[in-house]
Amino acid sequence: MEKMSLEQLRALKEQADLEFNLFQDSLNNVRTATARLEIASTALQDLSLRPRGKKMLVPLTASLYVPGSLDDADKVLVDVGTGYFIEKTMVEGKEYCERKINLLKSNYDQLLEVATKKKSIADETGAILQAKLKQVAPIQ
Amino acid sequence: MGSTSALKELQRDLENKANDLSKLQKDIAKNHQVRKKYTIQLGENELVLKELDLLNEDANVYKLIGPVLVKQDLAEANANVRKRIDYISTELKRLDGILQDLEEKQNSKKEAIFKVQQRIQSLQAGKGKA
Repeated sequence: MEKMSLEQLRALKEQADLEFNLFQDSLNNVRTATARLEIASTALQDLSLRPRGKKMLVPLTASLYVPGSLDDADKVLVDVGTGYFIEKTMVEGKEYCERKINLLKSNYDQLLEVATKKKSIADETGAILQAKLKQVAPIQ
Repeated sequence: MGSTSALKELQRDLENKANDLSKLQKDIAKNHQVRKKYTIQLGENELVLKELDLLNEDANVYKLIGPVLVKQDLAEANANVRKRIDYISTELKRLDGILQDLEEKQNSKKEAIFKVQQRIQSLQAGKGKA
């Protein structure tokens, strides 16, 4: 890398910085998704504790709730993607949440590894760039 | 006079080639976008397939069609998702082929532009000397 010209180094650093920012965004997205799944898991846990027939308020829109009573809390509908929903038992539903959360956590770790490598490349390039600039400056 | 019109012609040629190159680059960018969309869909469908495979025969599967949740047969749902995965994979392969082709065209366009630029430079140098 040290053999490259100033221009090349600058371009390389910019590219590495850009890639690192992309990785940061992805990491944030994964974190948000994981948080949402964990909320879902907690909600499931809470729901499983409620007795049948319990009075509740059902959201019809963001600002309209309607009184109702809890039916069978052992069956849950899980959104698995591409418009498909699967009916599962409460236990299976909890397992599903667990599985998804674990998958996301491992994705997050893999992403973090790659992102850290990119950051170190960006930092190294920046350091070499600085050194080169210092070399050129005193001559002027 | 002859060399001036030759110069003008070369510059026009350069402009045309530059326009072609920029169009090629836009096509390549669009290709990337579509490929990204398809890759995401492929991933999602594979997740769904995995979930469906874990199910018992008698589990209930529903599909959201517009505002309606419609009960689906597990075998049918499996078949649909598999078909979708196959379709997306074929589309991705097709796009890969197109992308390679576009990139080759882009490279040869760049070379052609470079050659025209060289000829312009040598013509201008020749004129300068004259």
